[in-house]
Amino acid sequence: MTFFDYNDSPYPIREDIKKEHRDFWQRLAQAGSWWTAAERIAIAQESRNASSCEFCEERKAALSPYTLEGNHHSSTPLSATAIDAVHRIVADQTRITQAWVESLPDNDLSIESYVELAGIVVCVFSIDEFHRSLGFELELLPDPTAGEPSRYRPAQAESGTGFVPMLPKEGLTGPEENLWPGGRSANVLRALSLVPAALRDWLALCSAQYLSVEGMANMVKQDDRSINRMQMELIAARVSAINECFY
Amino acid sequence: MLRASSLTTQTEVDLNAVNGDLSAAAIGLEYGPELVEFAEAVASGDKDKLNQSRQTLLDHAGAETLVDSAGVAANFQRMVRIADSMGIPVDDMETELGKSVRSELNLTRFASAANTLNA
Repeated sequence: MTFFDYNDSPYPIREDIKKEHRDFWQRLAQAGSWWTAAERIAIAQESRNASSCEFCEERKAALSPYTLEGNHHSSTPLSATAIDAVHRIVADQTRITQAWVESLPDNDLSIESYVELAGIVVCVFSIDEFHRSLGFELELLPDPTAGEPSRYRPAQAESGTGFVPMLPKEGLTGPEENLWPGGRSANVLRALSLVPAALRDWLALCSAQYLSVEGMANMVKQDDRSINRMQMELIAARVSAINECFY
Repeated sequence: MLRASSLTTQTEVDLNAVNGDLSAAAIGLEYGPELVEFAEAVASGDKDKLNQSRQTLLDHAGAETLVDSAGVAANFQRMVRIADSMGIPVDDMETELGKSVRSELNLTRFASAANTLNA
């Protein structure tokens, strides 16, 4: 089966978008750093379940998201902690706190697993949002392949910024030597770097849905885009404002 | 980045567009109001509004603009969730451009400002 062929699309979809969506789906179907392929696809399914979860709606309306108890709309064998993490990231991300993240290991979800889970959720969610925004059906999730997680944790990860350990802005060595595009970093790049593969996933999607990191230096207009940079940033800023994102 | 791009291109824009002011979005930005309404519909998940704003943007700006706009909106639906789920602070709170934009848009009203202000 060919994913993301967009043959039924009434609009022309750029080839780089097709490719990056397809490539991510292929990576989604493989074992990651901390989750098996089947678990990664279950995380993807939960990110879809969160969009129609009544408990998420109820909790989002509550004064505090940490006092209400209930059951999420769920259809996977993931642990309750993992399901809750997926649903919070999709539906109520502004109220995630450091204390909650730090409590995850006590509930059998390691910080490394949380970072990879978040990486899967945000990539699947953004692909789904692209489909929803154009009125398309969501793509079928892929079948999982065999294999075990690599359990790779970069040695240079350090705490001190944000809720999770991250790689430093400077001095990366070994497999991460060239992780920062163009050698420059920022906290948004560092955010998922405890799982370098998760960072590479979002960078690849970003280059097609928005701009590559190198392309972001062009403040006027990228030749293969139909909207100029100001128009892009207007959309970006309005989406961020509605999501109440300070960053 | 909207301010940075407008400065680069020496185009006057009104940042109130970021807070949903459609008349502000019309200043200096081709299809500004249509882009704002489409972005709002994507981020809010309002299906009726999304259907309407998609058609409006398509009618005014064409299919390629619609697709590229959908890509950018989808991308930032991801980016805000990366930032907030990992609790990253703003890299540099001292730049004059950043200070003026945060002040103009009153961004400290957002709960996630605590990830920077309390860091």
